[in-house]
Amino acid sequence: MSFPILPQRSIKPTLRKCQTSVRYAGRTAPAGDPRHEILRRTLYPSNLRNKSTPTGTWRSDVGRALQHAIPSVQAHETIERAWLLHQRHVRRQRDSELKRKFEKMKEAMDELEKLDKHLYFEANRQEDPRARSTKEVELTKTLKGSERKAMEARIRGLFPRELRVPTDTPPRTGWNYDWKPTGPASTP
Amino acid sequence: MSALARCSSCLPRSASTTRHGSILSRSLATEASAGPSTTQLAPAPGKIKSHETIGISIVVNRSPFLTRIPSRFERAFHAYQQRIERALHNPFPYEFYFKQGSLLETKFRAEERKRERMTLGAPFGTIEPQTSAESKAQSARESAVEALDREEEEIIPRRGKADEINDVRSLDRKGERNLYLLLLKKSNSEQVWRFPEGSLQKGELLHESAERNLLKECGVVMDTWVVSRNPIGLYKSSSAGGTSLSRLFFYKAHIMAGQVRPDGSNVLDYAWLTKQEMEERLDKEYWHGVQDMLSDF
Repeated sequence: MSFPILPQRSIKPTLRKCQTSVRYAGRTAPAGDPRHEILRRTLYPSNLRNKSTPTGTWRSDVGRALQHAIPSVQAHETIERAWLLHQRHVRRQRDSELKRKFEKMKEAMDELEKLDKHLYFEANRQEDPRARSTKEVELTKTLKGSERKAMEARIRGLFPRELRVPTDTPPRTGWNYDWKPTGPASTP
Repeated sequence: MSALARCSSCLPRSASTTRHGSILSRSLATEASAGPSTTQLAPAPGKIKSHETIGISIVVNRSPFLTRIPSRFERAFHAYQQRIERALHNPFPYEFYFKQGSLLETKFRAEERKRERMTLGAPFGTIEPQTSAESKAQSARESAVEALDREEEEIIPRRGKADEINDVRSLDRKGERNLYLLLLKKSNSEQVWRFPEGSLQKGELLHESAERNLLKECGVVMDTWVVSRNPIGLYKSSSAGGTSLSRLFFYKAHIMAGQVRPDGSNVLDYAWLTKQEMEERLDKEYWHGVQDMLSDF
């Protein structure tokens, strides 16, 4: 925020005036249809730089409102620093949690490698979400309707649609305790 | 494990071997796929029966369904930034968006005044002085607007019945937190809380075994999804006897719907707990092996 706080007596702050070639004056509405005037005022706001506003459209009591909002320059800077420090704490905590989880994963995979090469290879394999094994293709031919939809919906390697995004209030129906599997239980 | 016979192309372990799909030297977290792995490593002959010592355990997570409430400092900072923004931003061209003299315009102006008063404080957001005719028309419009607003949407509270009575079997409890499933199992006349676990069958892959064991231990009326083919952690029990499983590989799964249905024979009870609540129920050694895999919040 580069705008200096206005003291009680009004001193014009030194702002660079940018001059444009086309100047739109703000004029009062004529007695007739106000729609044209409204449209004009919205699309082409006044850019006459004879007042202390960079875009020409601040609110009328901007100085008073800003003085009310910001206690002082020092207070503002302290608040800014406190926020950045808080963000740093949050970031550190999140990163350390991820690091711990990753170390556990790495330990597990290293151990698996030592234990069994085949299992390790299979665990590391990248899956193509579009690929289907021959068993699955045969299975889809035997299924119909909702079972088939259920099988096609859960694609290995992609997130399922049912993973819910957090909201501010819980769902109206609450948790669905009455879920029943459709057709063959799990995909191979 | 030097007893394993290696195929000849496995031996040179240089950093750039990708030809036959060897991923031994690539880091685990990489996302770049080096092309389809068409050839497979044949399981080496005479391998040690690792499936007898490996156990699979599943960490079933119910993700939060409620957003987090920001802390007091965060809320104060957000309010401060809102005050500054309101002081500095362009006035809204409401005459463009609302027809002059319409009910919607009156409603918007009333709401805007209220927002102004709430953000900036009392001297802002008060009604400007008007002539008596204008003020009568204004008050008539505002009462019409209030008549519109009578019916309101019912807001479901964030803390429900499950939170009040602290029902640990409920999946509606603690909406902001991550909940994990623990099963009460009886082992040798003792009752222990453990994650759902099972053994690995011959010829089965680890993540397939995770799915199978989860259904076996917790019933089929749960909509679960095992996240990946990789395990998220490992627990080596030091006090392993001859037959019990010495290594437990943990897999992460999410539950989207349904509930656990214990069969009652091996699994006596279940609970959906946060990380902090789990600490008191688990054995110390098991807890230390497991705690780093779980989310703090």
